[in-house]
Amino acid sequence: MSWQREVDELNRRLEMAKAMGGAENVARHHARGKLTARERVDGLADPGSFDEFLGLVGSATYDGAELTAFTPKPTVEGMITLDGRKAVVVAGDFTVRGGSGGMGGGMGREPRASERALEWRLPFIRLQDGAGGSVRSFEEFGRTYLPDGNAYTQYEVQLLSKVPVASAVLGSVAGIPAVVACLGHFNVMVKEISQIFPGGPPVVKAALGIDITKEELGGDQIHTRISGCVDNLAEDEADAFTQIRRFLSYLPPSVDEMPPRAPITDDPDRADEALLSLMPRNPRQSHNARKLIEHLVDKNSFFEIAPLYGRARITGLARIDGYPVALMANNSRFNGGSTDVAEGNKVMRLISLCDTFHLPLISLCDEPGFMVGPNSERMGIERAGARLLTAVCSSRMPWITVVVGRVFGVAGQCHHRPSGMYRRYAWPSATWGSMHISGGVAAAYRREIEAAPDPAAKQAEIEARLNAIASPFRTAEATGQDIIDPRHTRRKLVQFVHDAQRILATQVGVPWIPYTP
Amino acid sequence: MTDLRVLSEIDARVWKIEVAPGDSVTADMTLLILEAMKTEIPVEAPRAGRVKEIMVKAEDPVSEGQVLLILEV
Repeated sequence: MSWQREVDELNRRLEMAKAMGGAENVARHHARGKLTARERVDGLADPGSFDEFLGLVGSATYDGAELTAFTPKPTVEGMITLDGRKAVVVAGDFTVRGGSGGMGGGMGREPRASERALEWRLPFIRLQDGAGGSVRSFEEFGRTYLPDGNAYTQYEVQLLSKVPVASAVLGSVAGIPAVVACLGHFNVMVKEISQIFPGGPPVVKAALGIDITKEELGGDQIHTRISGCVDNLAEDEADAFTQIRRFLSYLPPSVDEMPPRAPITDDPDRADEALLSLMPRNPRQSHNARKLIEHLVDKNSFFEIAPLYGRARITGLARIDGYPVALMANNSRFNGGSTDVAEGNKVMRLISLCDTFHLPLISLCDEPGFMVGPNSERMGIERAGARLLTAVCSSRMPWITVVVGRVFGVAGQCHHRPSGMYRRYAWPSATWGSMHISGGVAAAYRREIEAAPDPAAKQAEIEARLNAIASPFRTAEATGQDIIDPRHTRRKLVQFVHDAQRILATQVGVPWIPYTP
Repeated sequence: MTDLRVLSEIDARVWKIEVAPGDSVTADMTLLILEAMKTEIPVEAPRAGRVKEIMVKAEDPVSEGQVLLILEV
C-alpha cells in the first residue's frame, strides 16, 4: 500500500497555503495596486528557483481528524536564485492578519529564514509588508507579553557582519519590521505604496494629537530625502526587485568569499577625451560628477545608493575591469559638494560596506570642507566629523583617491588614509589647503587687513600672494604627490583595482569592526 | 509628442537662461543656469526636444521640485 493519501493531503495543504489570506483579502490587496507575497517572490527570483521552507506552518481547523480550513503564517520564505546565485528570501504576507504576528514555535521548531541564511552563508532579502505586533494578539493569548523580539532579531543583527542583507519596503511597515527595514546593507521603498514608522497615524494621534497621513509621516519624501532611513526609491515593485538584484550582484554571498568579477565589457585603456576639459577653469562653475563617474567606471556599471539623501556626496557601487568597487564623489552642484551630517553618514556606511564585503574604495574628490553655519552646528557637525574621521582611519580596504578639484579642511582630510593600501593622484585642476584662501585670509590676517587704509585692497593683495603659490606642482615638488593627465585616470584605476585583489584576499572573513546599519 | 517638465533639483536662484521658446535642443544641452552657494549649476536637457515654455526668468528664486521649463519630446 502506497502513501498516496498522505501525499494528497500534503498537496492539499500546500494549495491552501498558496491561497494566502483567502481570495477576498488577495483581491483587496491587488486593488491597492500591490503584489502578493508569492507574486513578489516570483518577481524577484530567477524563474522556477523558489524552494520554499516552513510552507506548512499556519493555523488549521479540524472536524475530528479532517482538516477543514487552513490559514498560513503571514510570511512566505525560502531559497531562491538571483542570476544563478543563491539567496534566502522572506516576504511578509499582508493578506494574512495584515502581515502581523509570527509563526509561534517552541520545542522542535525549524530554523527561521534568518538562521538559515546565517548558517548557509547566503544573502538575506526581506520583502516587507505589514506590522509587527498587534494588540489583537493579547486577546488570542489571554495575556500580554514582554517585547522580547531581540530573541529572534539577534540573528538578523549577526547577519550584518556575515552576509549581504537587503530590504524592500512594499507597504505600510510599522513596529519592529519598520526598524528591521533598516537592519541591512541596502533598502528600497516604492513610490506611493511604501511607508515606515514605529507607530502609524493612529498611534501618533493618540500620543501627540497630530492628524497626519501615512505618506506624510513615513513616506518616501521623508525617508529617502530627509531621514535617510531608506536608501533608494523605486518606481514600482518590479523596479525594487531589479535594484535589489543589482545591489547584490556586486557583493560576495558572504564575508568569507571575494566579490564576483563580472565579464569584461569595457576597454580598460579607455581614455575619454572629455576628461581633459571636464573640470571648469572658472571656480564659479561646477562639474557634472555623475558624468565624471561614467567616464571612469565600466560602461553602465554604476549603481547609485541613496541618491536623494546627503546629495552633496554621490555614493554607490560600480565595476572597474569587471571587478566590483565602491565609489564616492563630491557633487559640487549641491551645497557646493560640502560634507554635512547626512553626507558623513553615507560615507561611513560605504566604508563599512567595503570593509565587510572586500570592495576597494574610489574617491573622486572635490571637497570644499564640512558644511559651515548655524544649521550644521545644530546637527552636531563636529561629532559627526569625529565619527567620519574615525571611520576613515580605522578602515582597511584598498583605497584610491583622485583629487579632481578642491580638497580642503578636515573633510578633505577624510579623503586620505595614512595607512594600508592607499594611493592618491591629483589632476592639474586640483587645489588644496588646510583651509580656503579667501576665508582663511580674512581670519589669519585680520589685524593687517583692518589696519590697512584700504582693507579690501589689502585682502585682495594677500590673497593674490597666496594664490600664486597654490599651484599643485609646487606641492608635488616638495611632497611627491603624483599629478596625472585626467585622461589616464581610468587606466590608473584599473591598475589599482587589479593590485587590490591580493590585499582584499587577505581581508576575507568577519570584519574586524562589526557592521553598524 | 509629450511634454517633459524639467524640474529644479535644488533651492537656488536663476542666473541665466540659455534657450528661448521654440528652440530645438539636444540631450545634455544646457537649458539654463542656476546659482547656489556662489556656484553655477547648469540644468541640462534630459533628452532631445523642443522648448515649449519657460516658467522662470533670470533672478527668480526657485525651490526644489519647481518646474523650470517644459520640453516637447
